[in-house]
Amino acid sequence: MLAYILRRLLWTPVLLALAAFFVFLMGTIAPGDPAELRLGNRATPERIERERERLGLDDPIPVRYVRYVAGVLRGDFGESYQYLGKPVLSIIGPRLWVSVQLNIAALLVAVAIGLPLGFYAAKRQGTGRDPAIVITILILYAMPVFFTAPFLILFFAVKLSWVPAAGWGGFFSPQIILPALTIGIPGAAIFVRHMRASTLEVIGQEYIRTAHAKGMSNFVVNYRHVARNALLPILTIMGFTLAGMFGGSLIVELIYGIPGAGRLSLDAIFQRDFPVLTAFVLLGAGMLVLANLAIDVAYTIVDPRIRLQ
Amino acid sequence: MASITQPEPAEIELPRSRGHWRNVWAKFRKRRLAFASLIIITFIYLLGIFAPVIQTHDYQATDLMRTQQGPSAENWFGTDRAGRDIYTRVVWGIQTTVIITITTFVTGSLFLGVTVGLVAGYFRGWIDAIIMRVGEVVSAFPDILLIILLAATLRPRIVEFARNVEDSTGISGLVSSGIVDYVVIGIALLPLSWFGMMRLVRGQVLALREAEYVEAARAMGTTTPRILFRHILPNVVSPIIVSVSFGIGAIALSEVVLSFFGLGVQPPRPSLGVMIGEVTARGGASVSVLRDHPEQLLAPIIVVWLLIFCWNIVGDALNDVLNPRAR
Amino acid sequence: MIFGMALSLVLIAAVACTGSSESPTEAAAPATSTPPAARATQPAIAPDLQGKNDSAAAVGDSGPKRGGVFNTLWSDPPTIDPHLVTDGTSYGIVIEVFSGLVRLGSNPANPFEPDLAESWSVLEGGTVYEFKLRNDLVFSNGDPVTAQDFKWSFERAANPDTASTVAEEFLGDIVGIKDIVEGNATTAEGIEVVDERTLRLTIDAPKAYFIAKLTYPTAFVLNRNNVETLGRNWTDDPVSTGPFTLKEYRIGQRIRLARNDNFWDRNAYLDEVVFNLAGGVAMAMYENDEIDITGVGLADLERVQDPTEELNKDLVEVPPNFAVSYVGFNINEPPFDDAAFRQALNHAVDKQLIADQVFSNLVKPAYGIIPPGFPGFSSEIKGLEFDPDLARDLLNQSAYADPDSRPRIVLTVPGTGGSPGLTTEVVADMWRQNLGIEIEIQQVEWATYIQDLHRGRLQAWSGLSWQADYPDPQTFIDVLFRSTSAINYGGYSNPRVDEYVVSAQTEQDATQRVQFYNDAEQIIVSEAAWLPLWWGVDSKALVKPWVQDYRFSSLTIAKFKDVWLDK
Repeated sequence: MLAYILRRLLWTPVLLALAAFFVFLMGTIAPGDPAELRLGNRATPERIERERERLGLDDPIPVRYVRYVAGVLRGDFGESYQYLGKPVLSIIGPRLWVSVQLNIAALLVAVAIGLPLGFYAAKRQGTGRDPAIVITILILYAMPVFFTAPFLILFFAVKLSWVPAAGWGGFFSPQIILPALTIGIPGAAIFVRHMRASTLEVIGQEYIRTAHAKGMSNFVVNYRHVARNALLPILTIMGFTLAGMFGGSLIVELIYGIPGAGRLSLDAIFQRDFPVLTAFVLLGAGMLVLANLAIDVAYTIVDPRIRLQ
Repeated sequence: MASITQPEPAEIELPRSRGHWRNVWAKFRKRRLAFASLIIITFIYLLGIFAPVIQTHDYQATDLMRTQQGPSAENWFGTDRAGRDIYTRVVWGIQTTVIITITTFVTGSLFLGVTVGLVAGYFRGWIDAIIMRVGEVVSAFPDILLIILLAATLRPRIVEFARNVEDSTGISGLVSSGIVDYVVIGIALLPLSWFGMMRLVRGQVLALREAEYVEAARAMGTTTPRILFRHILPNVVSPIIVSVSFGIGAIALSEVVLSFFGLGVQPPRPSLGVMIGEVTARGGASVSVLRDHPEQLLAPIIVVWLLIFCWNIVGDALNDVLNPRAR
Repeated sequence: MIFGMALSLVLIAAVACTGSSESPTEAAAPATSTPPAARATQPAIAPDLQGKNDSAAAVGDSGPKRGGVFNTLWSDPPTIDPHLVTDGTSYGIVIEVFSGLVRLGSNPANPFEPDLAESWSVLEGGTVYEFKLRNDLVFSNGDPVTAQDFKWSFERAANPDTASTVAEEFLGDIVGIKDIVEGNATTAEGIEVVDERTLRLTIDAPKAYFIAKLTYPTAFVLNRNNVETLGRNWTDDPVSTGPFTLKEYRIGQRIRLARNDNFWDRNAYLDEVVFNLAGGVAMAMYENDEIDITGVGLADLERVQDPTEELNKDLVEVPPNFAVSYVGFNINEPPFDDAAFRQALNHAVDKQLIADQVFSNLVKPAYGIIPPGFPGFSSEIKGLEFDPDLARDLLNQSAYADPDSRPRIVLTVPGTGGSPGLTTEVVADMWRQNLGIEIEIQQVEWATYIQDLHRGRLQAWSGLSWQADYPDPQTFIDVLFRSTSAINYGGYSNPRVDEYVVSAQTEQDATQRVQFYNDAEQIIVSEAAWLPLWWGVDSKALVKPWVQDYRFSSLTIAKFKDVWLDK
């Protein structure tokens, strides 16, 4: 297994290098010139030429790419085209942190709603409540954010004035509530689904029946045996969800005015700020790869029968 | 479209095929919710397909004396700020969704994903390794970002190319008919639709290629393509159907997101995303519109909502029916 | 030129994207630097000359109160280095923090007020300007401000290393600046330090609009020590002379300005002004007391105009800003090379109807170029009014009367950044209905749009508006239509127009000068170089009742120094 992990880890930099190259390629295909965008429409052609030189845009792609990779290896992701003179990491860092907090909050919402509901639905299998829960949660899951976000703002912020309508004040500020709900409620559907399935599976197991037979109280069986065992597979789903949220909160950030990474990367695309975009892709891809690896490893720990090779 | 979920037994030559699919269909019909969902989906798609027939107005005709009207006998869902009929625009928007769904699935998931998956799974070795690695690189990008990046960078190039074709061949209307938009969106959505399908098919093939009947076929000297398409593919159909049914809702939503940012379908051609983006001024006015003229926002949104919801229900049911062992 | 950079209309831009309005302003392009998404709403509060004289009672009671924080939405400024500013988003921040010799005031008749200079005199027949600085001027950190600082600042702005794209335009009249811009010199002989408090500028010819150019941030004074010590990152902690100092700038999040206690004039009342850069739904934030001011977009107009609505009490009329939005034609490309065809397109559009029905009269139909109220505006200009019959006649007279021989027409709009062009769609439909002309609308991203525009690759375009940089008709007529102007994107060229604007440059008689511009404007309008659409935008705003002395103006001026909160 160690060899496997090692191999995956060794492959990661190659994958990242390829991903970065892909962005470079897009950069050359894309119309629009970062130098020109930066200088605006009053720039003379000579000015633009000088600016291109300054940004190092005149060199051929392979040269720029090698220079970039060499920089990254030294921990230097370059400087933003758009915010001249600002190191890319100093721009991405705070924005990424905002997105991470938002997504963690959303995950908490999803888990807090999803797990108990999924568990409850499974326990009530065969009654009308189970399908009712499943359908309701699917309806919420399918709800487009273009509706959820304005609806929540209209209702909870404008009409009731319970929470702020927009903005960002950190993890513990009331401003996080609506966006976290907006992302978290559809996310809850995933957890209901899986929690329900895995609970059903556990309920059917021998040892649960044995526990009941031994005369253990319902409560203890439910919480000590059923819920706990059903939770294991859920952990991996959480991992996937967190990794997948990267960039997924784009529209939510837009409507709620949250200075997160989604917004930043969107700006970077439209502004042709390739240093920022590339760094963003590298970080995102790196996180995804590591998350996948961690999940694989976690599987083997949870279930020793699985062997990685 | 609906035919994807109603597998055509005639196309599949497998010992168990005919009876098997009839059985599946019978089981599926018993699930009332899923069956109802399928009917709703069919209905919505039919609205789109017959948009030219069932429209009550011209989708681009503005009527400045009748702007921002609520629903009425004349305009069933009201009119927008330019006095265009929302009902008409919604059905045309559905048509756009239908076309995009088909093109994306046919090119991306079905053609590319299935073929590449078959090849990778069957040949294994370095072909498989390369394909998987490329796939990993592509799937390492955050979805929405990659879609937007592709659409933003490729669109002008593709449009330019199409105009050159128009100029040199004398064919007109290539760009204005919207074909180019569909191509752009199809390409942008490729990474979303392709890799998952490929991985799924590959996994199935890896298991199947060791199956006895495949080995037997190989021993009898059957050609590789024949083994792939005659013997292996039919057995991979079930998971493909399930995966497609789960993915279609996501495709509809992706079009909405792209058009919302102005990267998708071009005006005056309506699409659900264009309508949402236009009416909410890219999100900023969404609260006000929801409060003052909800029909303008809700008409396109409910369609998207229904599509995603129904496809999920159908996907769930198919999953149960087709893979009885799966949860 | 523009105050918002060239194409960029700030206000507009801003507005277009988020909350405050979907509006007419959609017409405008996003600020150059503005990606769609990103653009927050900067409440488009530009305009208005008379200001809002509210609640005399409150003022009478207690007089202005010190303290408090003013919250508003804004978008990320591309720069806060005054010498690099070309767009309105940056401009709006920079003028609160930095300042120069003269500034724009709110009196349209005499818009130039002394700022750091207490007075100036024009000598040598209009080629020499001598400025007297105020006594005891200091930077926010206590350093004295001297004439030497101005000389250094002007030369720094022009230096190629600074990479200002507008230095030549705004300072290039000063003798010697062009040499610096071209990299042939580092000092300009036209800038003379007479003594600590006296600065003498020599320009290459008498130019009436020179003083106007000095109000632009390119001519603002910076602290040499501050800039040289911190290098490229000096704007992280800038030393300045305006009513506020930059306390915090977190890209994409917020800008906080704090009162400058070393300001030469009465210090500002507010403790802080917070510009929220992350966007959000402006109207909802306003109603929820998260921001103190917002522009009103189309989607909210009906509601706020309803007298029974609580918000109605906060409604303020904002006279339109000095901007004109238009559909541009590339005069070098068929079918727009035929004036009759362009005139037909102009006559076929019922702008009044669109303004009434689509934009709830938030826009004013434009039949000329220079907006009403702007110096040089003439009501005598005869525009191309809506007349479908005349339009059809003109179309039939044109070289493109036959649809089969008519080239394909592609009208390009910036698709990301602003809202998709409702105006464009309506106009296109009017052409279709009134003339039977079918066009293709092409949305492209801002990055592509601006590149193609610069290269002259667009056949026709919409989604732009031009806002005045300074109150002089030159900013419209000369800059946009002189055949050699770099931003005459349509390639419009008429020797008579060129002759008029060149004569106007040095004409000393004010009336005659305006006449030159008006004559040129009439030719431009009659020949249909553009299809002008709207003058001004976004003429309504909401201001919280506790905000006092917030004055709107048609040109962007420093306004927070007078604002105080009564709560």
